Order: sequence, then structure tokens, then C-alpha cells
Amino acid sequence: MSDQTDVLQGTLDLLIMRTLALEPMHGWAIAQRIQQTSDELLRVQQGSLYPALHRLEHQGWIKAEWGASENNRRARFYSLTKAGRKQVEAELEKWERLSTGVNLLLQRT
Amino acid sequence: MRLWHILRSRLRSIAFRDRRELDLSEELQLHLERETERLQAGGLSREEARLHALRLFGGVEQIKEASRDARGTATWDALVRDTRQGLRRLVRDWRFTTAAVLILALAIGANTAIFSVVNAVLFRRHAVADPDRLVNIYQNGRAGTPLVVTAYSTYMEIAEYTDIFATTMAASVPNPIRYLADGAVRDAVVEYATADYLDTLGLRPSLGRWFDETEVRPGAPLVAVLGHQTWNRRFRADPSIIGRIIRIEGLPVTIVGIGPANHRATFDVGLVTDFWLPMTAIPPMMPRPGRRDTPTIFAPLFVKARLRDGVTVSQARAAMDGLGRRLEAEHPELFRAEGEFALGPGMTVLPSTDVRIHPAADTPFMAIASLVLVIVGLVLAIACSNLATLLLVRGAARAREVSVRLAMGATRRQLVRHLLIESLLLSLAGGVAGCVLAWWGMRALQRVDFPFRVDLTVDYRVLAFAIALSLVTGIVFGLAPALKATRVDLLTTLRDEGLQPVDHRRLTLKNALIVFQVAVSVLLLGGTSIFLQAAAAGRALRVGYAVDGVAMLETDLRFAGYSESEASRVFDELLGRIRAIPGVESAALLRGLPMEVNGVAIVVDSGDGQPGSTLEAAAITAAPGFFDTLRIPLLHGRVFDVRDRADAPRVAVITERMARQYFGAVNAVGRRFRSPNDPNSWTAVIGVVHDTGTGDFDDDVLDPVGPVFYTSYIQSGALPTTVIARTFGEAAPLVAAMQRELRAIDITLPVMTAQTMAQKLAGSLAIPNGIATLFGALGGLGLVLASIGLYAVVAFTVARRSREIGIRMALGARSQQVVWSIARGVAGLTGFGTGIGLVLLVLVMLVMRAGGGSADIGIGSVTVYRPSIDPVGLLAIAAVTALVGVAAAFGPARRAARMHPLVALRHE
Repeated sequence: MSDQTDVLQGTLDLLIMRTLALEPMHGWAIAQRIQQTSDELLRVQQGSLYPALHRLEHQGWIKAEWGASENNRRARFYSLTKAGRKQVEAELEKWERLSTGVNLLLQRT
Repeated sequence: MRLWHILRSRLRSIAFRDRRELDLSEELQLHLERETERLQAGGLSREEARLHALRLFGGVEQIKEASRDARGTATWDALVRDTRQGLRRLVRDWRFTTAAVLILALAIGANTAIFSVVNAVLFRRHAVADPDRLVNIYQNGRAGTPLVVTAYSTYMEIAEYTDIFATTMAASVPNPIRYLADGAVRDAVVEYATADYLDTLGLRPSLGRWFDETEVRPGAPLVAVLGHQTWNRRFRADPSIIGRIIRIEGLPVTIVGIGPANHRATFDVGLVTDFWLPMTAIPPMMPRPGRRDTPTIFAPLFVKARLRDGVTVSQARAAMDGLGRRLEAEHPELFRAEGEFALGPGMTVLPSTDVRIHPAADTPFMAIASLVLVIVGLVLAIACSNLATLLLVRGAARAREVSVRLAMGATRRQLVRHLLIESLLLSLAGGVAGCVLAWWGMRALQRVDFPFRVDLTVDYRVLAFAIALSLVTGIVFGLAPALKATRVDLLTTLRDEGLQPVDHRRLTLKNALIVFQVAVSVLLLGGTSIFLQAAAAGRALRVGYAVDGVAMLETDLRFAGYSESEASRVFDELLGRIRAIPGVESAALLRGLPMEVNGVAIVVDSGDGQPGSTLEAAAITAAPGFFDTLRIPLLHGRVFDVRDRADAPRVAVITERMARQYFGAVNAVGRRFRSPNDPNSWTAVIGVVHDTGTGDFDDDVLDPVGPVFYTSYIQSGALPTTVIARTFGEAAPLVAAMQRELRAIDITLPVMTAQTMAQKLAGSLAIPNGIATLFGALGGLGLVLASIGLYAVVAFTVARRSREIGIRMALGARSQQVVWSIARGVAGLTGFGTGIGLVLLVLVMLVMRAGGGSADIGIGSVTVYRPSIDPVGLLAIAAVTALVGVAAAFGPARRAARMHPLVALRHE
């Protein structure tokens, strides 16, 4: 587990929303999905996951509904709102610019 | 859209807080379970998996807290929690709370009360339709600045400009008047107005109608419109008052309407007008004999006009300037004259929204109002710094609690918020209590039957003022103590407090606050002394006429329905009866009250045929027997007697001062003077009497008038109203005896004034005395507040130093030494504060002396009293302050000195 990286503050919102773009999910599943999709490279701390979910919901980018989980328990399923989809686009673009910039800088120095 | 979403989400979070909490728990619970299941699938036992999941998960409560934070409701929740805790705490410390709320209530109450007066005078807006289409028109004076009032003849000219103004109105300055209601004669304020008055203002009567054109013709039956507030107050809003006849100045007047509900007066300074009468009612209503036959033309008027549609203010201004030039060409004599009616170039036209009182008076009035607010503000400042002292002391006493909270992980921000909320709660409670106090005080004030009434209703401005005051107080004066209280050294405070070093610094916040409070109290007490001095100076003036044993009785036979011939017979009988009262030496009939001055302009005959210049003088109404009754010595010539009938040539008795100043010789008998308005009104001087102080002391001290002359009311053709009499004995029983004689003649005759000369003089000192009382109350309040602050600081110091005191006493220090060591600190603070206060006070006095004489307030000048810097008075103030300071320190210091060393040592 030591070669796992904690998700950078600020990119977590983007990761959550990108994950939710596929299908509505509950909190645990989001964390699992991020971990699996990143080939176990990225780890989401629960301590930041739930505050982030609530913040995103509060900002109106995702919405929550109660539904049944895989083990048939009541679970809060989050999905992207219309505004959220637009936000993902914008954030992705921003992220690409940032990572290109950082990569270029790291390679040339 | 997004804003709405956030708002809704926040509102929902607040509204469904409990359900949200449950949801959050359930959500996190599910996460834990899924994680446990995952780990179990990886081969761990159920118990191991659960523990591992929990460990991975971290603090459940912390996550909850962070999630709440993310919703933005955490602050709200914390606020609710802090408020609840603060309230509990304040209820528990009820002694502290009561003291603090009381302090604030007194200060905020005083401020709110004063502000509501200022509000009524300066801020409350006039209820007028389309105020920007309404213009005020003023005739200009010599300097080209607007005069206070405009002549009737000019109003008539202005009203001709119908192409500029849709309607034009004029209303007189408010006049005192008396009317009969419920069997009592009451004082009232009347305005004389034109028929277009209400239409020009764009208002409607709340009942009945305004008087019409036929009723403003000379000789028409008298009608009146009753002010709405007076209708409510005096006539219990009885609608049947319309059409009823009431007696005003003894004359029957038909009430034709009730004024608009929110219209108080034309000259809107908060004064309430009781009646509006037609302009033509001025001659019959004029109470002053000298002015009874004054043509209406010289009635001082305010002129307002409503612009025609499409006409701009500058067009109106141009038209009025043209009128001003024309008047100057037509009446050059008016533009050459000097004094009250000296006219100058052009006219001033201003939208009514730009004027509050008068274009030239608004700024000085604002300045005066600000000064008054600053003075009561000082009391508030004392109270606030006091609250700050109390909070500081309390904060220090709570150092341990604060450090425990900090140690438990509270952030400094949270603590400051917590403490601030407490002080805000305190100040809001103080604000509410202050409003109640102010409201109660003003109600008490409104019940007093003044001859005039100020509309002091509390409106939103007053309330907003009080609330803002409390909030600012709470934040500004709670913040510093809160910041200080949370800056604690955790280790020292948590350990036994005993070893904490004693704070020997002199310049602490606490000390500065105390010094400030003492200094301001001294300043306020100094203000009291200045006004007491002014009142005493008034009393000490050489009166120059008999006061002891002199009594007066005023009635008005018109209220009892007597005709003129009957009335003079009744007065002759009354005079005879009063002269027959045992002990009466001398008595005389008079109109009005004795020694009341009336400023007038005169032109003196220089004897060489040249038109003299206009001079200021003051007239006092006299009569045969007057000088004898008041023992005013005659120097030359004679006083009034039976020869000076209404149809005889006009004569006057002048004072020594007038003779010297205006005629150049003490013996001015045979010389003459006249009114500047009437070239044929020559009045011959028949005698010269000794100078006197006038009836109104404040006229001398605060508002001196020109040289005085006397005229006889009989020559104005008016009836007497008053009997004055002098007795060998006491004046008070004579007043009662005179009333008995009046009732013996006719029980229905109203008594308008029945008092001794001494009472009348005391009445004229009411204003300086009243101001001195106000200052005294504020200064006293300030001193009480400052002493509370001193007490708190000393008590706190003693508590902090109890261990040190115990050690000292255990080592053999005597209790006097202990008391002395504490008293030294208090004496230093009090002395320093008193010193600063005295220096400021002397500075204020020096400024008043330098600027003494008169101050222009735009619509006239007031005389500023020039205080003398009296070392005894200053010493007395210092002594009182020092005494209060020592008294405040004495209790806690004594307690410290009496402490048993062992107890003191164990004291925490």
C-alpha cells in the first residue's frame, strides 16, 4: 500500500465527478472505482471523500438519491447534474492544460 | 440559478438538520460495512476486518464534522450552539449580566431618547405629495441670502405668476395662542394660512375641508382647521367637532376640518401646529397690543409654490429674480431700510427637498444636533468602555476555562466567536432595555402639558439607531476583551494560578479605559457647572424692579363672552377689590404679563429733518400705576396717567440706557421716535426711568435685546388682561386672594396665569436650569458608570493579588499598608483621568470665551454664554470625582486587608 498516492487536494472533485459521469454510485463504490481505475495507484481517504461529496452536492454539481446497494442496503447514490456535466468539461480542460504545463516544465529543466 | 440552489440547499440543511444528521450516519455506516465485507473477502476474520476498516476510515466524528462544514451550515450550527451556551452562561452570572445590561440600557436609552428628538427636528421627512415639484421661495436680505420670512405683499406678487406656479401658498410662522376646551384655557400653536395651503402641499384634510377663498376675506366669520394630532389628543378624535364653535383667544371660531394625518406643521421641526386659521384672522387674534393694528402685510410668512407641469426650478428662479428686481425699483425705501426687513437683491427659489428648516439654518442646526449627539455619545462611550472593562475582568477570571477549551482543541477563532456572541447578547439586551427606557421617558415627557408639543413618536429611524448602537457596542467593545481573553499562556494558567506574576505594567487596556471614563465624567460635570453658572448669572442680574410681594393674575374676559364695555367695567371692579385686599400697597391693570420684552425696530427723530436709520429696541407694555407697583424709579418727566387715552398722541417712557444711547442725553423728554414701517407713527418721550433687567433673565444672559422703552396698553385701544399687585407681606397668599376676588365677580372667568413675580423669574430660567439638569444627569450617570468600572478593576486586582497579599500579611505587613498599596493604583488612575478631564474642560471653556458673544445660526443669532474659569468649581469637580473613585476602591481593598493570611494564601 505504500506506493499508493493520496489524491491531490483539488483534483478529488474532478475524479469524483468524472467517475460519476459513467453511472450513479454511492460513496464506497466511488472510492473503489477510483482506486481500481487508477490501477491501485490512487487512494481516496474517506476523510476527504464524504466532505467532498457533500460540498459538490451543496454546490449543485451532483445530486443524491436514496437507493438499494449491492448488498441490498439503503445507500445514497450520487449522480451528476446538468451543471455538473458542464463543470467536468471545464475542469478537464483546466487539468489538461495544467498537466501539460507541468510535464513540459519537468522535462525541459 | 446556482445561487438559488446553494441557498435552497442551505435552507434545507438548516430546516432538516436532524434528519440530515441521521442520513450522514447511515451513509458512513454503509461505507464501513462495505469496506469490512471487502476485507473479509480478502481473507480476514470478520472482527479483524471491522477493526481494520475502522482504522482505515479514521475518525467518524471528524468526517461528519467536515461534511457538515462542506454544506456551509456548520457556522450556523455553531452560532446556535454558542448563543444557547452564552444565554445559559449569562443567566448563571446574573449579577454581572444585570449590571452590564443596566449600564448599557441607561446609555443606549439616553442616546435613543436624544436621537428621537433630533430625528423629529431634523430627519423626519415632511408628508408632501411630489416634494421635488414643490419649491420654497424666500425674499433675499441685504447680503443676497434668503431672509427667514417673506412679506405678505411679496406673496401676493408671487401668486400672480400663474404661468410658473400651479398654486402658491403662504403660512405664518407658528404663533402661541390660547383656546378654551373642556372648561380650561389651553396653550396652543397656530399658523395663519392662505386658502391654497393644502392644495399646494398636495394634501387632503383627513376630515371636513380647508377654508375657502370667501373665508380668507377680511371681516369673514372666523373658521379654523384643527391639527390631526391635536384632534386625537385633545378632542378624542371626535368627528362631531366639525361645525362646532370653540373659543380661540376668546373669539368664537368654527372648526371646518381636520388637517392631514401625518402633516404636523409648515415649519417642520417636529413642533406640532394645533390650529390653522385664515390669514385675515391675524388682526383679531394678535395677543400683543402693539401688534394688534399691524397690517397683515408684515406678518412673517413662509411661501411655497407648486411648479406648473414642465416648468423647471431654474425657470422659476429666473422669474422670481425678475420679480425681485421689479420690487426693488418700485419700493426703493424698503431696500434702503436697515434691520429686520432690510431687503436685498433678488429672491431665492429652492426645491422643498433641499431645505429642512431654512437654507441658511440647516447647517448650523445640524452642527448643534451633532454636538448634542456627541455629548450623549460620550455617556455611551463611558458605558461601552465600562462594559469592555467588565468583560476584560471577567475574561481574565475565565482564563482557566479558556485554557481548558484551548487544550481540548478549540480554535482561537471559535473561542473569540463564543465570547463575542456573549457580548452581543449582552448589548442587544441592553439595547432592548434602553429602548424601553427611552420610550417610557418620552411618554412621561409627552404627558407634561407644555405650551408647545414636539412629535416624538418612535419611528424606524430611531429603532434602527438603537439597534445599530447596540450591535456596534457589542462588537467593538466585546472584540478587544475577547481577543485578550483568548491570548493565554496555556501552561501557566492550567497549572495552579498562584505563581502567576503580578502585572505591574501601567499602560494596560483596563487602565486606559478607566482613565477615559473618569476624564469624560469630569468633562460632563464641567458642562453642568457651565450651565449652572449661566443660570446663576441670570439670577444674580440686577433686577431693578420689585419682586418680593408682587403677584399677578391674568384672565381673558372674551372667553366668558363679555363685550368690551362690560369687560372694562369688570376689570375696574377687580382692580378695586384687589386694592382693598388687606396689605396691598399698590395695584395696576395691565395687558399681558409684566416685564415681557418684545423686540422692535424704531427710527429716532434726530431733530435735523434727516431720515434716521433703523435701530433695535425692545418694548415692554406698561400702564398707569405700573411703575409704582413695580417700584421702578422715575428720573425725568412723568409716567403714564389718565391723560394717555387711546385717542391721545402716542407717548412712551424710556429707560436711561435708551435715552443715553439713542438720544444722547439722559433727559430725553420731548424727543420722539417711530416705527420704520409707518412714517406717521411718531411716539413722544414723556419720561425716563431707571434701567431694569427685563422680565426674561435669559434674554439678558443668553439673548440680550436692544434698549428698552415702555408703552401703555391703553393707547393701543386694547383691553387689559392682567392685574399686578404688590403687598407688604408674602406674595403667595396674595395670589390666592386675587383669585378669590376674580371668582367672586364671576365664577366662569378663566384664570390664565396666577403667580408671584418670583415664580415668573424662576420660569424664565427654566432653559439654562433644564440644560444644567440634563448635563448634571449625564455627568452623574457617567460618574456612576466610571465608579462601577473602578470597582470592578479594583476587585479583580485584589482577587488576582490575594496570594501576594496573603504572603505579605503572613510576613507581617499591616492592613493599612495593604490598603495603601491598592489605593495607590486607584488614586493614580483617578488622578490621571481627572487631570485630563480638567484640561479638556478648561480648553472648552476657553473656546467658549473666545467665541463668546454671539453665534449665527442662520435664522438669527444666539448668544453664547461666556463661562468664567472658576478654580473653586474645578476643584469641586475634581474632589467629587476623587471621592467617587476612592469609594469604589474602598470596599474591595478593605476586604483584601481583612483577609486572613491563610485564606488568602489558599485563595486560588
